[in-house]
Amino acid sequence: MAELEFERRLERMFAETPSFRDSDAFAITVEARLDRGWMMRRWMIGTAGVVGGVFGTSQLLVSNLIGRVEDVSDGSTKLLAASIAQVKPSLNLLALMQSDMLWVWVAGGMAVVAMGFVLTRVIEEI
Amino acid sequence: MSGGQSMRHTNLHDVELAGLAGAGDRGAFGELVRRHGSAVRSLVRRMGAGNAEADDVAQDAFLAAFENIADYRGEGAFAGWVKRIAVRQYLRRLQRSKRLAAISAENAELENVVGGVESLAAGKIDLDAALNTLTLPERLSVGMCYGAGLSHVEAAEALNLPLGTVKSHVKRGLEKLRVRLASVGEKGSVVHG
Repeated sequence: MAELEFERRLERMFAETPSFRDSDAFAITVEARLDRGWMMRRWMIGTAGVVGGVFGTSQLLVSNLIGRVEDVSDGSTKLLAASIAQVKPSLNLLALMQSDMLWVWVAGGMAVVAMGFVLTRVIEEI
Repeated sequence: MSGGQSMRHTNLHDVELAGLAGAGDRGAFGELVRRHGSAVRSLVRRMGAGNAEADDVAQDAFLAAFENIADYRGEGAFAGWVKRIAVRQYLRRLQRSKRLAAISAENAELENVVGGVESLAAGKIDLDAALNTLTLPERLSVGMCYGAGLSHVEAAEALNLPLGTVKSHVKRGLEKLRVRLASVGEKGSVVHG
């Protein structure tokens, strides 16, 4: 019985801790370390996103996908132009849709940015 | 963090703050650190760490707690949960610096007494001074079981020691503390009487 009482007393003594004077400073240090870790993680995620995006784009270019897309889109454009010319020969809207390498690069750039964002978001969720 | 947000945090319960921290609110976690930082630091000091080392361990424990805040479901006290993390962090640190190896040595009895009896003789009536009279294994075992609320089995697992050995350390530690605290209590009553 005395044993149990002493053990309870000991637990109480362990639980009674004075608040340290520098407890605020301690908390600020922990928060700063959290912020530092968070910032580093964001940089790492961002870098991983950009690297992933660049790698993805380079793979697209290497596999000549754009060339194939151009060919397909060229064929489709001609087909559409012919069809629309029959409907309304005076209107030449498809001239605006001429495949141009500039647009392909813009689309590629946007794809890189989008991939970066998606990758960042996915890693943050994980 | 704005003053309003800080004020809002001070009114919240630990479990609510932990929930906010889980959603990425670092201000809420800062409030938890403010509330329980001293308790965690104090426990690590009582387990034998120096002040600076105890602060490092406590900081690491809080960072680990933030990383794993989803594991805290409010079933026990937040402070208790972080204390357990801190105990494990401290043991890991001892292990890295080979100080934990001394615990398994059978004759590590008297040579690694952390402090002396001087602080008691000076009349400081507290647990810290009494703990200074324990060996490191006794101090760790008592701290883990009575300070962090670990069972003997959990303490044995954490220390990687047989259960019987940990029970012996706890028993011897309690005996010493009982004697020290009783004698100090008597001295104290004489002084005040």
